[in-house]
Amino acid sequence: MSSTSDSTERLVRTWMASERDEEITEIVSEISNGSTSLLNVVKALGEYLTSEEETSRTKGVELLSVVLGRCPPERLNRQAARVLTSFYCSKLEDSETVVPALKGLVNLTKLPSSTSEDAPNIMNAIFKHVKMKGLVQSVRFHVFTIIDTLMARHRQVLRDMNDDFIGRYIALVDGEKDPRNLLVAFAIDRVIIIEFDTANFVESLFNITFCYFPITFRPPPNDPYGITTDDLRQALRKCLNATPVFGPLAIPVFLEKLAAGSPTTKRDTLESMSICFPVYGSALARSQARKIWNSLKLEIFQPTDPITEQFALRTTQDLVKTIYDSVDGTDSDIEGLARDACEECITILREPEKSQAKPAIKVLCAFMSTTPSVSRFTVAQTAPYLVQLYIQPDNLAARPSILLLLSDLIAAARDSMNVSKSNDSSSSETPLGPYKDEILGIVSSALKVPSSRDPALACLLGMVSIDNLLSDEELGFIVHNVNEILSEESEEAEEASAPALQLLVTISQRSAHYVKEQTLPLLFSMLPDDAPTRDAALDRAKAWRILSALNTLCRPVELFETLVIRLITKLDLLCVPSESTPPQIDHEPRAAYAHSILTTLHQTLLAKVDDGHGDVAKYIENLVSRLFNLFIYSALMSKEDVSLIATDSRLITVAGQIIGTIMQNTAAQRQESYIQALFSAYLNGQVSLITEGYHKLPPTSNFAPLNDSASAQQRNLVILLASAVIPLHKEIPIPVTDLNVFLGSLLTWSIADITANADIQRESAWEMISAILNKRSADVSSFIESMLHEFWPKHIANRSEPVDRRNRATQAWVWISKALLVCNHAQASQFTDIIFSVFDDGNINWTAAKSFGNIVRTDTVLTKQNHASIKILYAQRFVGRIFPRMIDGAKNASELEKQQSYLVGLTSLISSIPKALYVHEMPTLIPLLVRGLDLPDYNIRSQVIDTFLAVAEGDSPSEIITDHAPSLITTMLKNCSVDKMPSTKVRISALRYLGVLPSIVRYDVLHPYKATVIKQLAVSLDDPKRAVRKEAVDARTKW
Amino acid sequence: MSGTVFNPNPTVFRSSSSSASSRKLLAAKKSLWINESQPSFDQSMEDDEEEAIDQDEIFDLIRNIYDPEHPNTLEELHVVSAPQIDIRENRVKVEFTPTVPHCGMSTLIGLSIRVRLIRSLPTRFKLDIVVKPGSHQSEHAVNKQLNDKERVAAALENPTLVKTVEDCLTGRA
Repeated sequence: MSSTSDSTERLVRTWMASERDEEITEIVSEISNGSTSLLNVVKALGEYLTSEEETSRTKGVELLSVVLGRCPPERLNRQAARVLTSFYCSKLEDSETVVPALKGLVNLTKLPSSTSEDAPNIMNAIFKHVKMKGLVQSVRFHVFTIIDTLMARHRQVLRDMNDDFIGRYIALVDGEKDPRNLLVAFAIDRVIIIEFDTANFVESLFNITFCYFPITFRPPPNDPYGITTDDLRQALRKCLNATPVFGPLAIPVFLEKLAAGSPTTKRDTLESMSICFPVYGSALARSQARKIWNSLKLEIFQPTDPITEQFALRTTQDLVKTIYDSVDGTDSDIEGLARDACEECITILREPEKSQAKPAIKVLCAFMSTTPSVSRFTVAQTAPYLVQLYIQPDNLAARPSILLLLSDLIAAARDSMNVSKSNDSSSSETPLGPYKDEILGIVSSALKVPSSRDPALACLLGMVSIDNLLSDEELGFIVHNVNEILSEESEEAEEASAPALQLLVTISQRSAHYVKEQTLPLLFSMLPDDAPTRDAALDRAKAWRILSALNTLCRPVELFETLVIRLITKLDLLCVPSESTPPQIDHEPRAAYAHSILTTLHQTLLAKVDDGHGDVAKYIENLVSRLFNLFIYSALMSKEDVSLIATDSRLITVAGQIIGTIMQNTAAQRQESYIQALFSAYLNGQVSLITEGYHKLPPTSNFAPLNDSASAQQRNLVILLASAVIPLHKEIPIPVTDLNVFLGSLLTWSIADITANADIQRESAWEMISAILNKRSADVSSFIESMLHEFWPKHIANRSEPVDRRNRATQAWVWISKALLVCNHAQASQFTDIIFSVFDDGNINWTAAKSFGNIVRTDTVLTKQNHASIKILYAQRFVGRIFPRMIDGAKNASELEKQQSYLVGLTSLISSIPKALYVHEMPTLIPLLVRGLDLPDYNIRSQVIDTFLAVAEGDSPSEIITDHAPSLITTMLKNCSVDKMPSTKVRISALRYLGVLPSIVRYDVLHPYKATVIKQLAVSLDDPKRAVRKEAVDARTKW
Repeated sequence: MSGTVFNPNPTVFRSSSSSASSRKLLAAKKSLWINESQPSFDQSMEDDEEEAIDQDEIFDLIRNIYDPEHPNTLEELHVVSAPQIDIRENRVKVEFTPTVPHCGMSTLIGLSIRVRLIRSLPTRFKLDIVVKPGSHQSEHAVNKQLNDKERVAAALENPTLVKTVEDCLTGRA
């Protein structure tokens, strides 16, 4: 026993000299294994604790507190806890030991062996001896922590102390300013206010809480404690609304702060009021209603800003709810604020076109979402009033304004329905019900007047979206009226067509049959059968308008079906005119019209995919085969001299997009069977399986678009094949005997010398190769090998080949490299690295350099929708590998040709990748990019400026830009005036960048250039292009 | 600024955006093909056709200036409108209508318009800013003040006045 206490004593003595952590750890472990005890430590400390020397006393208590903090709780029995409590309490008297003693108490009070018996002693000692004003924040924090712990563990004891506790606590917290301490203090305050008998202290408690309102604390930058203004606000609010007795004292404070404060204070006050009203009770709210409303009114009718206005409206709602929640009865007993405010607002509505009418209707709308009785009352006052106002003949000019107000009211009624629906289902009766006939009456007459059409449609939109308000017949009546707008041919009617369509869309969600039976036939009948001629712009605009209306309307399953049938029929007739139709000499308008029909179908399909409609896949059966039917027929029937319009590559491209969208949404199984039929058509000429449709194909077809001798019309149809192949699922095999051979021959086909314009065909073939390669790279290793060892040396590196052929082969190379890169294929790097080898070849080096950007740029082929195999971070890996080499190359001035290639490659790469991948390299990149601005290629220049613009966005460090500001300003000014830079795009980008500079570069850096820039920009103000002038105006305003 | 509000409750009009239908018609005139806006936009950007500064462009510059008294734009209050702008060679005449004939803010509104246009139009233009004839009780005085070079220059030396004008231009009330 003595040996253990010896060891404790030794350790204590060592620590007093060394203050090392080792001794503490050892003491704690001895206590843990029971070889010594805390009381032994106290004994060992004896001489220090009573020492004359102040530091010894401080350190002695310190050691004990630290050990206590680390001891396992079960090592402290009740007896020891009691001793330690009185020990620490006595140490509070000594100004040298108060700090470590508080530390000890923080730990001690948390231990289970510290009981409620100790609490009064601790509190008394703290109240008596601790002088908060003389202590630093961290020590005061200990005090609050101790009180907080006691409050949590022994609340009853403190409540028994009540007056004794509260009075002295108030004195203790008085003057506290630190946010960390306040957070704890507020929590304690709330408990006291709610659970203690505060009768004697209401005013003092009010003072120690409301003196902090409103919170103006702003956390310093890099605040390590992470306490936000909002934390404090929330904590304080819990005190403010802790008791109704604060009410009478609080309201004047709130109103004063509201009137005088900054926008933030106003908002804080409004929010605090909102949560306090319900607690303070309806009696107080009622008696103060007038005064509060007068203040709130000011914030609504003369708002500082829209957000504060919103807050004020919400607070008004909460006030009204508090007043009327308890007296929810019949409508007739609405007295007081709601009635007064309603009448006040309605008086203002007498002049509906004036600016004050807007806030007035906002208040009324806000009332709609309070209590059901107030809501009913408000509607009963406002709706008939607005209807009357509309009917009065002398208000003719104000009618649009009246309807606009009415539409706000209806929208509010709808929103209040949604709120009450989520609360309870009892009030499903809409307050608008009794007035709907009158409203429908004036609104349907307003639809006929152009100026009031828009607000009338807004009213209807509100009404149709309220459940159970309108009957089915009434919806039919509305559809009928809206159809009249759609069929009217005037500019005003066209203006209204967008909201009219939105209304029909909303109606069709409930009863599609009216739209299907009334609106669609009308629209289809208005669509011309034949294309408007070249100079009939008006007719063409009308046809487009109808098509866009159909696109908006025909998304629901039932309506889309009708759309497909009608449009595809129209298309068949248009593309293959019967003998009787007069032949059009000019094919172009007809092709353009067919193109617009196809585009409409595609856009509607895309919208359906976005909305997640499941019926897209089924159109592989009828729509896709009808398209193949039409296009293959047209290709086969076209001869040298007469070609049908469906051979136009622009039409085929849109058809391909439709097929692609449908294939993307088709299940793997169906894709597999379909692709087999498709390949047997394209490779063996067996077209009958995929071409069910209107046109009868010639029985002896010689359909072979992939033959070397195929006609241009047939070759074009590879676009359709590609669009069906690209979205295939990974697991679906391509139905050919040898995929390596197939890809090889497709590639040869794609780079063959064809005189006709064949860019789209080639591009489609490459995309198809890329998609197949990406998904099935394991099956085609011999193709990949032959690319590297035969194709590259023969078609790209071979300097005796014609240049355009080499360029073409390089483009194909891009697509192949891309496919391998995206799926992280092992040989992908060989494909990209080899490109550097032609950087010194003046004929193709620019194409080669630009291909780096093209390889890594995201595209529409290798996407998730197309089920491509995309490995994460492939771009990061690629950039990480290529970037250093590019930068080195661009810096190396030994070979000019090569250096320029690197520079082009670098700019192309940067403009194709996300900012995050290169922003850390900016210091090295900026000088290179500035040089890129001298390259003769305008596209590169505008890409470089766009890169600078991208870097300027967000919070990337702007110091590097600051360093280069002078040279950037000079270069940009050179690129923005019309006599030095013919490209509009570059001028716009340069001006945009000049406009950004003032916000990212410090003013003192820019100041020397200000005069020059403003003078130079004046030249751009007179630019021949409007878009350029607009940017110049913006840039000049910023400077 | 003094606390007197000259017109506490002005009539607010709805501002019309350039109409969708006319844009469609314009597109239909230019091209036979639907949705070619993107490529044709690029083309029109790079062609040599000159787009002269017109009424609408000047209106676009001043429509969003804020009224010194209200959180509304000059367009919403019908203080300015496109037909009230007249361009002849190098002369721009902008006419504006105060909301009430005794409006003491008219000079400030006129000054804001002038400052905006000085900053945004090529220097070759000469500016005339006038109130609509018969719309203001001291029409002559206001016009004189707005078009006197020295007085405008003097006004723009006054920092508080410049700040007020800036507020009108940017919409900070």
